[in-house]
Amino acid sequence: MAQEGWSRTVADALRRNGIRTFATVPDFIVSQVLEHLWADPECKVITVTREEEGLGLLSGAYLAGQRGCLLMQNSGLGNCVNTLASLNNANQIPVVMVISHRGDLGEYNPAQVPMGQAAERVLEALDVRVSQPHTVEAFESEADGLIKLAYTRSMPVAFLLPNDLTGGRYSS
Amino acid sequence: MKRDACTRLLAEKLSDEVVVTNLGQATLDMQQIADRPLNFYTFGSMGQCSAIAMGIAISRPDARVISLDGDGSMLMNLGQLCTVANTAPANLAIVVWDNEVHQTTGGQPTATSMRTSLAGVARGAGIEKVLEPQNEEEAAAAFDRILSEEGPFFVLVKVDAGPAGGFMQRDQLGYKLRFMQALAALPSDQ
Repeated sequence: MAQEGWSRTVADALRRNGIRTFATVPDFIVSQVLEHLWADPECKVITVTREEEGLGLLSGAYLAGQRGCLLMQNSGLGNCVNTLASLNNANQIPVVMVISHRGDLGEYNPAQVPMGQAAERVLEALDVRVSQPHTVEAFESEADGLIKLAYTRSMPVAFLLPNDLTGGRYSS
Repeated sequence: MKRDACTRLLAEKLSDEVVVTNLGQATLDMQQIADRPLNFYTFGSMGQCSAIAMGIAISRPDARVISLDGDGSMLMNLGQLCTVANTAPANLAIVVWDNEVHQTTGGQPTATSMRTSLAGVARGAGIEKVLEPQNEEEAAAAFDRILSEEGPFFVLVKVDAGPAGGFMQRDQLGYKLRFMQALAALPSDQ
């Protein structure tokens, strides 16, 4: 079961922290956040073809003075590894990532599991500070602080969203 | 055509445009020929040069943005051409120096040395203004167009293989800060 209102809570936290430029390769879960952003004329949402392309785009936006957020599934994190390291970390270019955590508790698709189990350690290896909020209240208690840290530290940060927050995706 | 001669042709025409350069040859060429605060140099993240340029272009629609990319790097991220075509920032031009080799790693051939046309890929992605200058005179005319007309443009320039001269300066953080300050100081006409 999803936590009531989780997707609006996430969208609102991003917006109240000044993020207006979004890149995404959508999935079932982050699309619920995207619905709020697509409906907001102040938000620029660009669907890219591969997640690391989104990091390039949002890095350009940051260089031009705009805060950016990449919304994706954790499989997309795998596609982002070198760009996170050699573009964001090496140049100290912050970005906020919102990542749906497939391949963890309750997963039905075996192909999702290895990356899902690796996701936390991949982020840790790349020195990306992570929040894994299991409730709306837990998200709210960390969201502003994590986003602020991204720009104070000039490094990427990630919200890795567990199934008990989002409701996950289950096989029909 | 020679890449450094074409870079000079473009550099002579620049005023307050943003230029994003691809790791390796394009970065070294611009450092040697026309180092300027509105250059953003990349040193890694192969394939992301034009994506970075697009991010700047959509964030500063008042500034003209030019990506100087390479064939090997563009081949690594062809999908970005679809994003450029469909987002269609009018202030963006992608110039690809196509030497048909991975120059920086020793000159191994790329797909464009065989059957692949990046200009064809760009058209297929949906970019309407695709230019393929065949000599320096046509290259100069193409550069005049990308500096005056609405884009997005994709300019494929076939150049001879061969490394750029000189030594690369690698003060990434210094260059980044210089670029951000220069772009922030660039008057916005909005």
